[in-house]
Amino acid sequence: MSSSLSASLTATGFPSGGGGGASGGGGGGGRGGGGVGARPWSSATSASASGKRIQKEMVDLNANPPVECAAGPKNDNLYHWIATILGPTGTPYEGGVYFLDIIFPCDYPYNPPTVSFKTRIYHCNIDSAGKLSLGILKEGWSPAMTISKLLLAIRSIIINPDPFNSLMPTIARLYLTDKAKHDEIAAEWTMRFAR
Amino acid sequence: MCGQINLFRHFYENLCPSHTIYDINCPDYSFRKFTDDGHFLIAFSRTHQDLIVYRPSWLSYSCKGDCPFSLDAHLPPKAQCFDSFFHHLYTVSLASANEFICKDFFLYVHTLRFGLFATSTAQANDPTTSSAEGAVHGVPSIEKITFYLVRLDDGVVLDEKAFCNDFVNLAHCTGAFLYDDLLCIVSLRYQTIHILQIRESGNLVEVRKIGAYCQEDDELFLQSHAQVSPGSSFLPGIKQRLLSFIFRKTWNEEADQNMRVQHLKKKFYFHFQDYVDLIIWKVQFLDRHHLLIKFGSVDGGVSRSTDQGLSFFAVYNMETTEVVSFYQNSSEEMYSFFEQFYDFFNSVSRSTLHAQFISSHTNNMHALDQLLNIKNKSTSFSQFVKKMMLTLPYTCQSHSPSPYFDLSLFRYDDKLISAIDRHRHSTEHPIKFISLRQPNVVKFKIKPGAEGGGPDGGRPKKVSSFLFHPYLPLILSVQQTYMQPTVVNLHFRR
Repeated sequence: MSSSLSASLTATGFPSGGGGGASGGGGGGGRGGGGVGARPWSSATSASASGKRIQKEMVDLNANPPVECAAGPKNDNLYHWIATILGPTGTPYEGGVYFLDIIFPCDYPYNPPTVSFKTRIYHCNIDSAGKLSLGILKEGWSPAMTISKLLLAIRSIIINPDPFNSLMPTIARLYLTDKAKHDEIAAEWTMRFAR
Repeated sequence: MCGQINLFRHFYENLCPSHTIYDINCPDYSFRKFTDDGHFLIAFSRTHQDLIVYRPSWLSYSCKGDCPFSLDAHLPPKAQCFDSFFHHLYTVSLASANEFICKDFFLYVHTLRFGLFATSTAQANDPTTSSAEGAVHGVPSIEKITFYLVRLDDGVVLDEKAFCNDFVNLAHCTGAFLYDDLLCIVSLRYQTIHILQIRESGNLVEVRKIGAYCQEDDELFLQSHAQVSPGSSFLPGIKQRLLSFIFRKTWNEEADQNMRVQHLKKKFYFHFQDYVDLIIWKVQFLDRHHLLIKFGSVDGGVSRSTDQGLSFFAVYNMETTEVVSFYQNSSEEMYSFFEQFYDFFNSVSRSTLHAQFISSHTNNMHALDQLLNIKNKSTSFSQFVKKMMLTLPYTCQSHSPSPYFDLSLFRYDDKLISAIDRHRHSTEHPIKFISLRQPNVVKFKIKPGAEGGGPDGGRPKKVSSFLFHPYLPLILSVQQTYMQPTVVNLHFRR
């Protein structure tokens, strides 16, 4: 279905890709996507290097897929990925299907990707616009990180929120003072917004 | 039981219109349709501002004195006149100065004898000028669209519901659907399905909005948690449901963990943005809880072209807020539902007694023959499927229940006329209704336009529309020719 679907998508004039930077980096070329990175290109070689690195991570992801997570380039844009994390069993997020935007900078892996939730979630480390606060996405970033590791880190913070480095103080406070109530609200969010 | 009723309908083979009054002297109105219970004839003024309602009263006409039964004999002058067939009930003004009644739009709530009408202001010329937050780019904007609920017995406007700077596809009621007392209206511009309930008291009550949110109190719930941030890029509620359904389906298609990532990459993430960009085109109720929603590209939703591009169907449960199934418009599975269970799609129309008789390929073997004939003749099965899928979602109240369209009784050229309520290019030839049981017997003919035809040689384009009474042998044919007065013919049994 894939190839025929995409062929007909183009044939019918489907607006391809999102945000203007859709069709950058076709296939193995690993060119930087047009409207993707906020950072300017340092040089053509580094963009190509980052492309190769992302390609390699894609292969690794195929070989060792993380539990209950998946990710892939949006359309054929190597620098803009969509990830999906299934709400972990035994947490108030169980039953939810969370979509995330992952945008890689041109100098990846020297700088971390930008990650934001496209699905609403009640969580002290994710703000009301979906932005995720995670140490390894900031000063804790290391070029040794990979997409697989990143997905596992996100999944793990969903399971164990970090109320001491929160973006949402009220949620963090509730998590610390009345976890049962917190979980009840979070579960209702899952039912309403994440299924 | 259905068979018995159908036998009873055989009676109509011998109760056909037999006489035509050409160019009947009638007010210059735009005649719209008979209600499906036959109680009212709906018309609009030429200015498209007034609603005029008639009661068909043909059966009460009787001829005193000399009334020969010869077919050549002229009718008494009184019988030639429109008012002898239709009793004018009232005229109500619905539209103010800069608004117009959409003459293609009319839905009938038969249980309460209410009519639903729509007026609109002119369409803004440039769809790109006003891009309000949440509006889909590329969808035009109309300053004001108003739906009116009118009690047809006396013409009292009971309630109205306005949509401002919005776009609802009013043509042929495409953007609205009535199921018992539930009405859905699709805002193309704001991608919202409004579910309204028509109360017995005559109120239009909005019970649900599906689009950005799925449950009626979702927005309130967010506000109570102080979590509404403007300009956030979260997926709209309905899209979240759709994408999570497609994701899980794709995920489950591949059991092997390592193959799965590759499978999702190709089948899901590669098309992610295309799925996000899909817009709701048209919606129908399947029952009180389930909606059949057609999704497509922005271009296809607005233009009237019957393009057979890519589109998708989703079945959505409003109560559980779940997507139940999802098909592409070339899906063979979807087609097999269409072929075998078509009545599930138009079950709505079963609500009135007469509407039960509307022929479809699942209740009528002749209609099924026609469908299978087209299917066998088609060179490309997938093109055929896409073509058939154009008829879904079903257009509400679009078929006439008249017995003369019953394919187990009559045969007619469906290029010239059919139960579907549409304008057609008219020809100079009368339209024949041939008995199905006696294949050589033309039971009756109807001919729109002037009696002698026209000297024009068919040069100016003529458009005809036919208004069939749901159960009486009473038909109005309306022919419009460019720059010429409309000709209304009345076909009836004398």
